[in-house]
Amino acid sequence: MSSENDRLLVQQIRQGDARAWDHLIASYEGRLLAFVHRRLNDRAASEDIVQETFIGFLTSLSNFDDRRALQTYLFTIASHKLTDHLRKSGRHPLQQAPVDMLEMKLDDNPAASSLARGQERRDLEEKAVAHGLGSLLEEWRDQGEFVRVKVLELLFVRGWSNRDVAAFLKVSEQQVANIRFAAVKKISENVREAGLPADVFPELI
Amino acid sequence: MTITREQLASYLEDALSDVETSQVEQALRQSEPLRQQLRQLMQERDRGEHSVGAIWRRQRLTCISRAQLGSYLLGVLEPEISDYVHFHVETIGCSYCLANLTDLKAQQQSAAPQSQQRRRRYFESSAGLLPSEKKK
Repeated sequence: MSSENDRLLVQQIRQGDARAWDHLIASYEGRLLAFVHRRLNDRAASEDIVQETFIGFLTSLSNFDDRRALQTYLFTIASHKLTDHLRKSGRHPLQQAPVDMLEMKLDDNPAASSLARGQERRDLEEKAVAHGLGSLLEEWRDQGEFVRVKVLELLFVRGWSNRDVAAFLKVSEQQVANIRFAAVKKISENVREAGLPADVFPELI
Repeated sequence: MTITREQLASYLEDALSDVETSQVEQALRQSEPLRQQLRQLMQERDRGEHSVGAIWRRQRLTCISRAQLGSYLLGVLEPEISDYVHFHVETIGCSYCLANLTDLKAQQQSAAPQSQQRRRRYFESSAGLLPSEKKK
């Protein structure tokens, strides 16, 4: 389903269209159930969490920004419900860790220190990185340069070292370093253009 | 097994595969330094700090479209794209694409009756919350 279709669907749901709501449930319940079940391995409890996710979506409908991807928003609600369930059922792994850690992970309310970096600033940073990186990845995919995409994904998403990436993908460390350099240059340009300091992300230095 | 900082961040975001989630949880139970690293990461997140990796995951910059995942299951993607999908799902362990794949596989195996029952239940438990002006 395209983003445009999702926007239309949400618009219809906002007008109280029950058929649109039924359609949204039919479109998303399977993937949400798979997402939750993978973590819980309990069918009944997983279905309950998906049910709570849909209820959560409707109760927060007024806060939903149509520019956001609907699927990502639903997965985010499901993830929160899942964490809440694990806490209540005593299955959360951090419950074996010191109490303050557990409270930190499970606390839904940001602490006062979160004021250190406001949401507006974070959004600006996110937009700059996503734009720079997104255009580079798109360009490489269009050119069929999937090895470059893989290199960056392992470096940034998995946090692997240049050496490990090179060994896994069977390319030279120099190639990995060059690909990283190209990405860092592109992202840094976007960060600067957004009027942000160059050292905002330590991994780009 | 070495747990990277980005793996810990992905763990906090529920963005790891089930196998890797178990590995991270086991490592956390056994290692105080790793728990300290997790604590530090949570404090950084609380201060609003984020990494390029976190933005990549949130924006789902390399997630596969549902149509492409369907083609992947049918084996009709071009080899290099199919290879990339395999990498993204198996090596990166993207939990969102894994969930979509599992759902698509279930649809192929025609689990329709159970699915209909679930959908009815979700609908009936939530439809009362729909905005009321134009309820059909």
